[in-house]
Amino acid sequence: MCALSLGTPYVPPHRLLASVLDGDTTLAGIVVTELRVPRLVLALIAGACLGAAGLVLQEALRNPLAVPEMLGVSSGAALGVAAPLVLTLSLPAAVQPLLAIGGAALGGGLTLLAAGLGRSPSAVLLTGAAVAAALQAALLVLMVMADQLDLQLIYRYLLGSLSARTWDDVTGLWPWLLVAVPALVLCAPVLSVMRLGDEDAEALGVRAQRARLAALAIAVLLIAPVTAVCGPVAWVGFLAPHLARWFNPAAGAVRWLPWSAAWGAVVVGVADVPARLALAPVETPAGAWTALLGVPAGVALMRSGGRGRGRAARRRPAAPTDAREPLYGSRRTASGTADEFPRAGTCTEVRGSEPGRGGPSGAVPPASGTTGTEDAR
Amino acid sequence: MTRRFTALAALAVVCAAVEMVAGRGMSPGVAWDVLNGGGDATERHILFHLRLPRMLVSLGAGACLAVAGLVLQSALRNPLAGPEVTGVTPGAVLGAVAATALGLAGWDSPLAVVLAACAGGCGGAALLWLLAGRGRGDPAQTAVHGVLVSAVLGGLTAMVLLVEPGGLGSVVQWLVGTTEGRVWQHWHLLWPWALAWGAVAWLLAGPLTLLRCGDDIALAAGLAARRARTLALLCAVALTAGAVAAVGALGFVGLLVPHLAVAVFGADLRVSLPGAALLGAVVVCGADAAAQLSSRLLAATLDAGRLTLPVGALTACLGAALLLVVVRRTPSRTF
Repeated sequence: MCALSLGTPYVPPHRLLASVLDGDTTLAGIVVTELRVPRLVLALIAGACLGAAGLVLQEALRNPLAVPEMLGVSSGAALGVAAPLVLTLSLPAAVQPLLAIGGAALGGGLTLLAAGLGRSPSAVLLTGAAVAAALQAALLVLMVMADQLDLQLIYRYLLGSLSARTWDDVTGLWPWLLVAVPALVLCAPVLSVMRLGDEDAEALGVRAQRARLAALAIAVLLIAPVTAVCGPVAWVGFLAPHLARWFNPAAGAVRWLPWSAAWGAVVVGVADVPARLALAPVETPAGAWTALLGVPAGVALMRSGGRGRGRAARRRPAAPTDAREPLYGSRRTASGTADEFPRAGTCTEVRGSEPGRGGPSGAVPPASGTTGTEDAR
Repeated sequence: MTRRFTALAALAVVCAAVEMVAGRGMSPGVAWDVLNGGGDATERHILFHLRLPRMLVSLGAGACLAVAGLVLQSALRNPLAGPEVTGVTPGAVLGAVAATALGLAGWDSPLAVVLAACAGGCGGAALLWLLAGRGRGDPAQTAVHGVLVSAVLGGLTAMVLLVEPGGLGSVVQWLVGTTEGRVWQHWHLLWPWALAWGAVAWLLAGPLTLLRCGDDIALAAGLAARRARTLALLCAVALTAGAVAAVGALGFVGLLVPHLAVAVFGADLRVSLPGAALLGAVVVCGADAAAQLSSRLLAATLDAGRLTLPVGALTACLGAALLLVVVRRTPSRTF
């Protein structure tokens, strides 16, 4: 609501509906329908994707710090997008997400290849940091080559900005989401098995290495289109899963997944408001705000979660979520359900058409038995 | 040991010589001519007022970063504590950029920039200290927290840059680390600072060697461990800030050159500290020469006149490869 009504032509909340209905006739109507609504929708979708991808990565690698930024996935995708921009190759718009996916897969694959899949979490992270730094260096070389005007554009993009995005950008995302969401739903139960550890997962019939690769592929698929549109909005994939865990410490990965997506959407949606308004004539990128607020909050949550998990588990019936929910109350739950609905809609719709095609990409065979229950939920 | 030092010094001289003739303005023959007293005014200007200070600055900055890294790694007993991953370099960058944007310091008053970078570096290190909290004994954990701190500081720097977009072009070069266009003024600023804090580091070499052995041994030998560590950290931050103010955030030099130095000269800091300084100078100077040569090659092949490869990009790529080797070779229990 704030995102819709605040801004230079201030539209009071009670007149929002009227201005939307008016459509093109008034200034407020145009501003709301053509600029603010797509922006908000894009922020919510991007946040949901990043949050879900972050959770998938963290669960698959069993590492609370495995985030896209630290695995080189984000910088790879950004490199894939920025390279043609600087080298002034004119490409059709449809190729851009493909390039981003290529870059992201390159970054993530390089990290995992160099670190070795079964290594300890810290080794993977440090390798990822090294890969990310190398990719960043390549990006900076590109930026040095660019001229001043391009430079502003790229710099803004690299920080993750949502400014001046229209409906075209939103519609460009849908096809990718249609592929990624069912894969995500199929993957969720496997993730909760992976949590038990490699040996237990193998004993239950999950091929751990292959599942991990599949998880990485899904994460890349989720992150790359979003990055292609609005740049690497930093550290949402770190904050959102921890928020989901903190509010609901006893649930499993399956339960956390939608919550993580919802929290990601909330985080980006909320961060976009100060990004637009804080330094009013200049627009700051949303990614800078998420990095600024997300990292300390995430670390604090991770720490308190590590300490408080045992305590929370002991007195679980008097769930801590209930105690805290009224504080944040109506606003967050409202936005949470608001973006939950369309998501659930697409899920069931796609699943309806799926048996005919015999399961799209990345379906992990042993999971199919359990997905029925997952879908029922 | 003396032989190793001589070999390294010879290498440094070779690097410096290559650096002198690597630029694209004139051929090696002309450069030799100018050194012998010939050449016209333009050539003399290029050699004595552009190339010579550039070479000296790259040598000095490399030495500073390497010594700072070795001091940090010894004081924290952490093989992964370079100035880049402990938040010192990003903090220094933030300090310098913020001070410039707020008008407290211009690029024409370099001392203020150095002081601002120093304050920022201290701030970054303090932030990490707060964040790491009780987990600061674990090296990998500290390194991971350092990456997080760097992310926060990078976000702040980005904000400052976006509010003051005027000098974005030059600042981006500086963010990746470049020796492009360094003149005598930079050198005059760098060397007293580097010399003073380098001397402090040299005096601290003995206590640092003790600190490397562990706090218990250091205490038993009669060293005030806390005080020595604080002084060492301050020294490392100051050295890093000086280097950052001169050449920008050169990636990975401070993290990986100390490993090389310890491998070559052994763990006794009284020997390996000067060794690290020499090695750092060689690495940065050589990388700069290589960057100039390769950008010349690239410009010739791609026919793009204004293409220059900043040295920071080269060191970052090199350092990333080396870091992969270090992480892979070390048995997993350490990391």
